[in-house]
Amino acid sequence: MSDLQTSAVRHAGAAAVPDGWQPQIVALVCNWCTYTGADMAGTTRLEYPATVRMVRFPCTGRMSPLMILRAFEQGADGVLVSGCHPGDCHYVQGNLVARRRFTIFRSLMDFLGIDLRRLHFAWVSAAEGHKWARVVKDVSAAVTAAGPLPRPPAADGWEGPALPAAEGDGPEEISAADAEALRDHLRRTAAELLESGRAGVVIGHRRGSLPGRLVPVMAATAAECRELEWGEGALNNLVTYAATALQRAEKAALVVKACELHALTGLIREGQVARERLLLVGLQCPGVRPEGALAAKCLGCSGAPHPACDLLLTPAGVSEGGSGAAAPAADTDDARDRQIAAIESLPAGERWLYWQRQFARCLRCYACRAVCPLCYCSTCVADKHRPQWVPTTIDARGNGVWNVVRAMHLAGRCTGCDECARVCPADIRLDLINRKLALEVERHFGAAGLEPGEKAALVDFRMEDPEEFIL
Amino acid sequence: MDRTAWVLNETELRAWLQDLIAGERTVVAPVAEDGVVVYRPLAAAGQAVLEPRGKARWSPKEFLFPRTEALYSYSFKGDAVAITDPPRPERPQVLFGVRSCDAAGLARLDEIFLSGRTDPLYAARREATTVVTAGCAAADPECFCTAVGGSPVGEEAADLQLVPLDGGWLLRVLSGKGEALVGEAAAGWSAPPAESGERVAALEREVAAQIGRNPVPQEWAKVLEGGFASPSWDRLAAHCLGCSICAYVCPSCSCFDMNHEANAWCGEQCRSWDACTFVPFTLHASGHNPRATRGGRYRQRVLHKFAFTAEGEAHFRCVGCGRCVALCPAGLDISQIVTAAAAAIQEEGADAAR
Repeated sequence: MSDLQTSAVRHAGAAAVPDGWQPQIVALVCNWCTYTGADMAGTTRLEYPATVRMVRFPCTGRMSPLMILRAFEQGADGVLVSGCHPGDCHYVQGNLVARRRFTIFRSLMDFLGIDLRRLHFAWVSAAEGHKWARVVKDVSAAVTAAGPLPRPPAADGWEGPALPAAEGDGPEEISAADAEALRDHLRRTAAELLESGRAGVVIGHRRGSLPGRLVPVMAATAAECRELEWGEGALNNLVTYAATALQRAEKAALVVKACELHALTGLIREGQVARERLLLVGLQCPGVRPEGALAAKCLGCSGAPHPACDLLLTPAGVSEGGSGAAAPAADTDDARDRQIAAIESLPAGERWLYWQRQFARCLRCYACRAVCPLCYCSTCVADKHRPQWVPTTIDARGNGVWNVVRAMHLAGRCTGCDECARVCPADIRLDLINRKLALEVERHFGAAGLEPGEKAALVDFRMEDPEEFIL
Repeated sequence: MDRTAWVLNETELRAWLQDLIAGERTVVAPVAEDGVVVYRPLAAAGQAVLEPRGKARWSPKEFLFPRTEALYSYSFKGDAVAITDPPRPERPQVLFGVRSCDAAGLARLDEIFLSGRTDPLYAARREATTVVTAGCAAADPECFCTAVGGSPVGEEAADLQLVPLDGGWLLRVLSGKGEALVGEAAAGWSAPPAESGERVAALEREVAAQIGRNPVPQEWAKVLEGGFASPSWDRLAAHCLGCSICAYVCPSCSCFDMNHEANAWCGEQCRSWDACTFVPFTLHASGHNPRATRGGRYRQRVLHKFAFTAEGEAHFRCVGCGRCVALCPAGLDISQIVTAAAAAIQEEGADAAR
């Protein structure tokens, strides 16, 4: 019995596997190789288990993780994805991009506690009828061993794992006098930028209605500049407002923390924002405190403004930046990584419970999407309904699909600002999911830098990308 | 109705709660889950978070108006279609330790789902529900119930009311349902001190004084509605990011969407929460969207809370719990925006008259 099932039995009292049970496996296959290969298996009169239901696609590159998720959500016990061997793609590189996507998707499924015996990938060419028969036999055996897909077990009363506290020093404290000096520099600089016409709008923070909380403002007047604030309550990643501000003015000044600059690089890389229309104002940052405590992302950060900003503001004064040189990444452990390691050390069944309970709380308010600087699609896949890929139901059906799809769309693109986790009313640890995928992307495909010319990892490929998981 | 009341210490309260859980009712109360306080059916009385202040992350409305529910299900067999009604939700439930603002939210939902054409699923749940409120001994920074006609010890929609007094709880019966819930349990409880009524009034004044927001006058409903075309909405909503935290944590928001969740063999017609701040909320099949701007969508939210009312309703639909203020990713504060909108609209009116 798998961990998942043991867990399901323990928590939900699931019935034992019935005698003679056969798994239902959905096979997503490419038209050009595997579908033809399966046809070959048929005409060669090869025998293999009648456990797979095939869905024919033009290419593995067309197979979104959504389709795999929907198969599970509709009750498949296992999913097999198969297409042309690398180098044989009818569309040249569809399977090579897909291979990267599947690598990360598989890591995500594992992290979320899905039994990987249920999810398989294979290269089967049009000539490989025998291989198809063998793959189906092997996959059927693995899924049979995993057993029927358990219904989500109830986690009521489950205590959950104790994650290690996120620890670190964080940026140096800024004294009250220095904070005041910094704020004055900011207000004066902003006013000068508007007056000189270097920017038509300054995206910054101002005091909100709750104590200690600063809120975003797109300041367009001298009076609004006088209300600009800076400090531990400056939680929002203002890069999210860049596109909106640029609809109002030809040029916008953007107040950024060093951690937010990566998000902007992502937007520039993806052609969403023109760098020359933005003037970046980097301020020395005291770290942010969303609920009193220093945010995990701040624990390994020096707080210094990023040298790639056009203007650098420290308590000492204002200096021109724009060196463009990316600062070397701080060589400190990320405080989130220990928590990720703690989750990974749990048995799959408990990882499943851990995440399912959080996803069950998800209200589908899409605040994670709204604050994300890199979620800019004009119509999100969750809002498309012809076909309806993401169920609108706010329950296990829709919530699991939404949370996985959100994570996948940000894999290799997320820059770790943790805004999604900050705003999530259900306290889903989206930061850990994003960070886990970023680590996986880095491990398999190398680190993404601050170079706007680079491609995001999951829209790129190398012939020699790892594929040891592919049958 | 005769008001009956007792004073319970923590032990007596938990013991009673445990008896309720052991009985035939599902008892729903605030529970800490992964560090978030949310309403959950209780397995044991010790799980309940019953504090003199603070509130659950979102309201308990989902126990009357679920996030998603099937209105009917269907299956195909050959040419035949079999349609099945959902089971009638009849199991009695107790919403325990609900704040007064949340209970007021239930009263607003009643106005939507029980007036005019009654919603049978909501009505069945409502009928089977007993509400035990817990008054507040202190206001949080986002709270503004008193600014919209509520009270930290408000009695609306409450069948029983707990009020935190001297480290214990005053329990007051406010309805027949409440009386039935107490039943025989009261045998060992002490009578309240004679001055408890005054103490509750004093508590109400004390908490009200902590709420630093000005009352929203009832006449602003007309002002805001009259300012439908005001350009100020776009300015006030400029920073809204278009999520729906505000609607989904709101005790009185009641909008929903209908969708089929189906495959080739069977399916369900599902009703799921929806929100006016979402772009697709008003999107027509033609592609036209009558609320194409952020300002227009946010205006809908404000007007639905403070202006649009059915005939005979004398309340704002905002109950002042302040959750949308505390949780808005962009820090929008509806109480400030209402004030700013009313001021802007009145000024525009004055300008036009000049």
